[in-house]
Amino acid sequence: MSLKVKFHSLFRIKLKSRGHEYQLEDEIDVMELIDLLDDDYDGYFSKKLLDAGEISPGSIILVNGENVIHKDGVKTKIKDGDTVTLFPPSAGG
Amino acid sequence: MGKIYEYQVLRVNLSNGEISRETIAGEKVKKFLGGRGLASKMLYDEIDPKVDPLSPENKLIYATGLLTGTAASTGGRYMVITKGPLTGTIASSNSGGFFGAEMRFSGNDIIVFEGKAEKPVYLSLKGDQAELKDASHLWGKGVYDTTDMLIEEFGDEKARVSCIGPAGENMVKFASIMNEKDRAAGRTGVGAVMGSKNLKAIVVKAGEKQVEYFKDEMMEVVKKQTKTLKEDGVTGEGLPALGTKVLDNVINEHGAYPRNNFQYGTFDKVEEVSGEALVEKGYLQNNKGCYGCPIRCGRHTKLPNGQEGEGPEYETGWAFGADCGVSDLNAIVQANFLCNDLGLDTISAGATIAAAMELYEKGYVDKEELENGPELTFGSSESVTYYTRQMAYREGFGDQLAEGSYRLAESKGNAELSMSVKKQELPAYDPRGIQGQGLNYATSNRGGCHVRGYMVSPEVLGVPEKLDPQELKGKPEWVKIFQDLTAVIDSLGMCLFTSFALGLEDYTEIANAGTEFEYSPEEMLENGERIYNLERQFNLEAGITPDQDKLPKRFDEPLPDGTFRGTAAKYREILPEYYEVRGWQQDGWISDEKLSEMGLK
Repeated sequence: MSLKVKFHSLFRIKLKSRGHEYQLEDEIDVMELIDLLDDDYDGYFSKKLLDAGEISPGSIILVNGENVIHKDGVKTKIKDGDTVTLFPPSAGG
Repeated sequence: MGKIYEYQVLRVNLSNGEISRETIAGEKVKKFLGGRGLASKMLYDEIDPKVDPLSPENKLIYATGLLTGTAASTGGRYMVITKGPLTGTIASSNSGGFFGAEMRFSGNDIIVFEGKAEKPVYLSLKGDQAELKDASHLWGKGVYDTTDMLIEEFGDEKARVSCIGPAGENMVKFASIMNEKDRAAGRTGVGAVMGSKNLKAIVVKAGEKQVEYFKDEMMEVVKKQTKTLKEDGVTGEGLPALGTKVLDNVINEHGAYPRNNFQYGTFDKVEEVSGEALVEKGYLQNNKGCYGCPIRCGRHTKLPNGQEGEGPEYETGWAFGADCGVSDLNAIVQANFLCNDLGLDTISAGATIAAAMELYEKGYVDKEELENGPELTFGSSESVTYYTRQMAYREGFGDQLAEGSYRLAESKGNAELSMSVKKQELPAYDPRGIQGQGLNYATSNRGGCHVRGYMVSPEVLGVPEKLDPQELKGKPEWVKIFQDLTAVIDSLGMCLFTSFALGLEDYTEIANAGTEFEYSPEEMLENGERIYNLERQFNLEAGITPDQDKLPKRFDEPLPDGTFRGTAAKYREILPEYYEVRGWQQDGWISDEKLSEMGLK
């Protein structure tokens, strides 16, 4: 399966990358995706997105636009063709 | 030692030139705090809510918050309170920068302008002296020139200026008041009221006198709160790096980023105009902070043609960008600079052009009306700069745009194409994707507005906790608390952005540390509720009845795209519960009993 990960905000500015695409054998969940990203970005994403194994306050993880907090959190399944979007805590107005 | 928080009021009668001073002290200050709260109480007591906002009978009140000019983090804000010409509601517009703190230092905590000057004047506050001076030579000048000329005339480069531009003079219904050139008391048309009084500016420089407060007691709390703000992911990292435009991608991915006058909820060209693009294109020079601010979210930008200024904020970038279908960041920034110099609210200016574009494309505006101006089609970057200038001077079609989107659309027989609440243009969040925000829009005391209860924070951004944006249960309580807490933060003179890291207990603690008042958190929130009820009562007496607690019909139709495709606004389902939570009557009016309970009758 293929999945697309989009980086925004400080992730994009600091990593100088707009995202990453993965081709995988099996379906994964959000936690497994963070592990994959950690391998590619030197442990950056678990530090930024997680707090004691849960999504840290204010961090935003969307699967096809839907915040995974309102699905199964870090256990939310990611399917073939999905787009995952990652934001560090962000606010403005 | 500090002193009891008294408010020193300077009263300026522009009709006869008389200037007098008075003091407000004790319970009234305690219960209405300062700024928005205390000045709203004064306005309610002193004018008939039915007055014509642009008549001499309206008053214009400049007010510092309870903690403005103290050491409180972000405590530099001032507010302008009046009856607004765009909405007919009570208006309070809030600005940062340094003017508010200087006004406080000068010993003028509140300035009330009454009547109307015969000729253009400005108010000069030098030390203890207050003097009205001739402003004929400034009339017609932009904000930048006015500021420079006044500082030179004043003879002290540390003087601070708050003024209107041509838009205010021409009584554009959404004219702003600007200080330090680029900071805006932007919304509700406070600049038009100033223009109607022939008042061009206030220039202020304090003498030796400084605001007295419990400095030692306060510093401990200030240090703690500053640390919290600096360590928080939003106020310590995201806002300093990307400013409010950190939100473009967040809200677009969420499917609540309005495009083409709210006809759609996503913008496929967001990458061209986002906060990230502002950095990557090299427009962003550095960030800037207001008085006492550890966040520093202001943008100092420079365009390839060498033009420099501040902005754009998220709202401005959206109003001239996605809402008009425009993806040319250069044109968006130029429109922003124009608004700063001409003294226009960027949200209403951009959103009014967006409404005009839809009216034009649907055949409600004739090409002849545009005279020789560019065609008002979505995506036209030429239009956003051209018509922004035109509306400030009320030239050609700009004269119709200057009335705001509601009056424009109504005059074309199609008021429903104005995306406004109580005639004020909505900001950059589609309520169909954020249901609590929809309820807040419908019930905001100054019409379509996001800073009267920013439900986007919990519903999208997960601050202070993540709520499901489509869930209705519990939302009326959340909206009430957010509205009341915002009234507290404003009235204290602190920046609303602190609320991404601080909470009710923190605001109570800082107010207790700096003043002789002792509040419990419950009392502090009740102050906010009192202020909110007072504003509502003003509006009801002004003829803004509860049937106007509604959104444009477009939001009864489902979103056509994005994450929440197929979803309509559901605020009507929870509006009765909101009235109940507020303790208001079922019909949305406030009973005498509730007014008494709030100490308003």
